[in-house]
Amino acid sequence: MKKLLFLIPAVACANTAVANIPINGVVESKCVIITDTDGVYGNPTADKLSTTASDGGVVPIIRYDIITADAYKAVVTTPNSFSSSPSLDDVVEWTSSTSVGDQSDANMSAFETNKVVYNNGHTTEFDLTIAGTVWFDVSSVAEYGYGKAFPAGDYTALITAECIAQ
Amino acid sequence: MKKLFLFCFLMVSVQVSAHQFTPTYPQLSLSHIEGVYKTEMVLFNNRNDIEYYGLDVFDKNWNPVRFASENKVVPLSYQERKYVNIYIREMDVSSALYICSKSKILKNVKDPSIVASRICSKLK
Repeated sequence: MKKLLFLIPAVACANTAVANIPINGVVESKCVIITDTDGVYGNPTADKLSTTASDGGVVPIIRYDIITADAYKAVVTTPNSFSSSPSLDDVVEWTSSTSVGDQSDANMSAFETNKVVYNNGHTTEFDLTIAGTVWFDVSSVAEYGYGKAFPAGDYTALITAECIAQ
Repeated sequence: MKKLFLFCFLMVSVQVSAHQFTPTYPQLSLSHIEGVYKTEMVLFNNRNDIEYYGLDVFDKNWNPVRFASENKVVPLSYQERKYVNIYIREMDVSSALYICSKSKILKNVKDPSIVASRICSKLK
């Protein structure tokens, strides 16, 4: 009886059909732009809005995933006006910079060395010559008039992050 | 309790917000309309703050090139993938070089610093 109990499952297992189910995937050349950290303007003095941490702001961070080396260039343009704000009757002076932050490959420091800055410092171009992931830190500072206080209200500024096939 | 907190933190931390536009190097082929070429692009929205993407075609000097598509501003829900056909007249095929998609930010978004993303593919 014990042998029979052993035999039945053994025969059942022997007759079990085995199917190999493939999983297919394709990794194609692409550039992915990811908004890693939303920036926040700090207001350290009445006439200044700044994303730097020492001014109470949060630096916006943009992540680029590069699947194929030498296929794309990254172009980051920082704001030179507010996309929405209270009414301003004086000039706003903008300063900004974009730099390579964290990187998945140490050789990506070459992105920073070879970057091209134009448009009064508002646009920075990086040749994405190495595949992997790179984070760009963007700083933006807005100063109002000659020591004038920014009017109270909500301020919004737009960063443009681009990936352009080469 | 600590593990639960760490798990929740990681779940929040790994939420990514991304924009994809492929292929990198699309090719034009004859469409069903005489004298009109087309290519198919894939747009993927993983940005939960964006619901629309604009399409554009440019020449080598970034001048706009005339094109047609089902929608020039594509409504795209969060984590939705859409196939987009771009139609270009035969007379414009030689000048068209870049096909771009750009995130459209609604006017009522009040984040202090917003990122507009634009990805451009290059016609081969």
